Amino acid sequence: MTEDIEMTSVVNSKNESVQLVTVEKWLESIDSLSNKGVGIIVKPTDDVGLLKDSLDKIVIIALDFNNFDDGRGYSHAYLLSKRWKYSGEIIGVNAHIDQLQFMLRAGVTSYKLLDDYENFDEIDYSNGFSICYQAAANNSGMKEKF
Amino acid sequence: MYKYNTDDTQFLVERVDQFEKQLKRYLVGDLDDAKFKSLRLRNGVYMELHAHMLRVAIPYGVMNSKQLIALADVADKYDRGFGHFTTRQNIQFNWIEIAEIANLLRELSSVDLHAIQTSGKTTRNITADPLSGLTEGEIADARPYCELIRRWFNLHPEFSWLPGKFKIAVNGAKLDETALRIHDLGLRLLRNDKGELGFSVYVGGGLGAVAVIGAETASFVPVEDILSYLESVMRVYNLKGRRDNIKRLRIKFLVKELGAAEFSRLVDEDWKHTKNDPELKLNINHLAQLEKDFALPVKPLEIDRFEEPVDFNYSIWKKNNVRAHKLSGYSIVNVSLTKQGSSPGDVTSKQMRILADLADQYSNSYLRTTKRQSIVFPHVRKDQVFDLWQSLEEHGLASPHQGTLAQIVACPGNDYCDLAKAASIPIATRVQQRFDDMDKMLDIGDLNINISGCENSCAHHHIADIGLLGMKKNNVEFYQITVAGETLNETVIGKKLGRSICGDEIVDAIENIVNVYLENRDEEEKFKEVFKRIGLAPFKERVYD
Repeated sequence: MTEDIEMTSVVNSKNESVQLVTVEKWLESIDSLSNKGVGIIVKPTDDVGLLKDSLDKIVIIALDFNNFDDGRGYSHAYLLSKRWKYSGEIIGVNAHIDQLQFMLRAGVTSYKLLDDYENFDEIDYSNGFSICYQAAANNSGMKEKF
Repeated sequence: MYKYNTDDTQFLVERVDQFEKQLKRYLVGDLDDAKFKSLRLRNGVYMELHAHMLRVAIPYGVMNSKQLIALADVADKYDRGFGHFTTRQNIQFNWIEIAEIANLLRELSSVDLHAIQTSGKTTRNITADPLSGLTEGEIADARPYCELIRRWFNLHPEFSWLPGKFKIAVNGAKLDETALRIHDLGLRLLRNDKGELGFSVYVGGGLGAVAVIGAETASFVPVEDILSYLESVMRVYNLKGRRDNIKRLRIKFLVKELGAAEFSRLVDEDWKHTKNDPELKLNINHLAQLEKDFALPVKPLEIDRFEEPVDFNYSIWKKNNVRAHKLSGYSIVNVSLTKQGSSPGDVTSKQMRILADLADQYSNSYLRTTKRQSIVFPHVRKDQVFDLWQSLEEHGLASPHQGTLAQIVACPGNDYCDLAKAASIPIATRVQQRFDDMDKMLDIGDLNINISGCENSCAHHHIADIGLLGMKKNNVEFYQITVAGETLNETVIGKKLGRSICGDEIVDAIENIVNVYLENRDEEEKFKEVFKRIGLAPFKERVYD
C-alpha cells in the first residue's frame, strides 16, 4: 500500500504558499473558509462532485496522485476542468514523473513531483508523446489524430 | 488491414523510447518493483515462473506474411525458437531477457507490431470475429470500429489507470463469434428499424472464479456516439470500481454490487453531458478510410471446372478445415497447430516462416489467428486448396483436428504458469491419445474441450461443451467439470457436473460424457442440444456411478 502523505499546504504557480483543507472540512465550513483563500486537497477516495456547487469559491484544488495505480485523480481532473469548467489552478501533487503527460492532458494545470524525482528531466517526460488519438482536456503541443 | 501512416509509426517509436528509459531506470535501481510492474505490464511484459513473457498484439487477428516473419525472427533471436498464439488475438514469447525487450519492440515496430496495452489495468487489445469480412450474413465488418475504439483508448489520459483490466470484444457477425458477453464490455453491431447501424452494449461479463454474463446496458447506441458512451462506462468504473479488494477489481463486481439497472443509470447520467460533444463523435471520414483499409484484397473469381485428386486424408482435412468464403472462387482454410504433447497455439519459428511463405503463395500474403488458437488462410483460390493442403502435409501442418474434439483449448498450466494449480497440456494430450481414431472423431464432430489450470480461466472452460478447471487438493490435482457452456447462439455458462475428479480418472470421465452424448444424439444434434433435451442427470450418473 502507498502511504498517505499529509498535505497541509501547497505552493501555487505564482510561488505563493496556499493552505489546504480536506473536502470534508471545506463542506463543513464553506462560509467561514470562502474568503480565507484556502485550497482543497482531493484524495482519490473523495467524491469530487461534492465540490461542484462551491467551485467559484475555491482558489486552488490539489489532486493527490501519490498512489501510482489509483487512476481516480484523472477523472477528477477531467470533471473539474472540462465538465464543470473550474477556472482556478488544478495542481497534481505527489506526482510521478511517468504519469505527467497523462495528468496534464486530463486537466491538471500544474504539478508538484514527489521528492524521489528530483534529478529527472521533467520536460522530457511531460512531452513523452507528440501524437494523441483522443480528445482530452488539454492536448496542447500534440498532433491530434481522431 | 489497418495501414500505419508516419504518425502511427512515430507513436510506436515514442512508446518504445519511453519504455526503454523506464527499463534503464529499473535496471539501475531508480524505479521500484511495484511501479515498474505497472509500467511493464502496459507494454505486455510479464514475469513468469522461469523467465519474462512478452505478449504482442495481433489486432483483430489479422497479420501479413511480413509481420509473421518478423515474429519468427523475434522467436529465433530473443526466445528459444517458439511463439504461442493466444485465445485473444495475441502472440506470446516465453523466454525473453528483460534487458533486450526495448530492442525487440523496436524491431517489431518496424513492421507495425506492438505490445501496447496487451496487459495491465487498462483497455486491452480489442477482439473481433476472426473471420470478419469473410463470411455471408455479416451485419458489418467489425474491424474498422475496433480500430477506432482501440486508437481512442490508446494511452487515454483519463482511463489508463483503471481498477482492473478491461477487455472489449466487438462482434459484427450474425452469430456471436467473439463471446462478447463474457467480456468486460461487449459490443454487438446491429441495425435499427430505420436501417441505421449501431451497437448494443453488454457490460460486466467475465469468467475467472466468478463467471458472469454481461448485462445489456444499452440496446442501441448509434455508431457515431459509441466513443462517448464507452467513456461514460469507463468513467463510472474508474471512479466507482473496487480498488480495495484484489479479487473484486473487474467491472463485473461493480455491476453486480450496484445492479445492472443502477449501473446503466449512472452511465446514462454521465453520458448526457458528453453525448452531443462534437469532439467525441466517431470520425466518419476515418471510418470510411478504415473501411477501405480493411476491404478484402481479392475480387470475386470465375474459376473453370477443375478436378481434385481423390485422397482420403485430403477429404477428411477438407471437411474439417475448409469453409465457404463470401466471394465466389475462394475458400477459407484453417490450419490447426494442435499437436499431441505441445501447448495448443504453440508454433515454432520454422512453422511461422512456412506459414508466411504459404500465405504469400496461396492467400494474398494474409493470415488470421482465431480464438481456438489456429491459423487461417483467408483467401485461398478454390482450385488451389489441394495444392495448399499438399504443402501443409509436407510440413506436418495438415492436422485435420480443426472442428473435432482434438482441437482442445488449454492454458499453459502449471508446467509453465506461476498461477496455475494443475496441469493442462498433459491432460489435453491424454484426451487426444484416448480419441486417436479419426473415424470416431469425425463421428463425434465438433465438440469443444477447454482446460484451465486455475480459476483465472484462461482457457475459457466455462463456455466449452466440456470444460475442466484444474485445482489442487492435498497436493493432488483435481478437475471440476462443467458441461454445455456456449456463446455462439446465446451465452451460457457451463453447468457443474458434480464433485471434482482426480487427474488419473479425468480422461475416463470425459470419455463417459462423450459416450452419453453419442448414445442420446439424434442425427446431427450438437452436444448442447442433447444436453438441453436430456439434462444433467444422465451425464452425472455415468461419470459418478
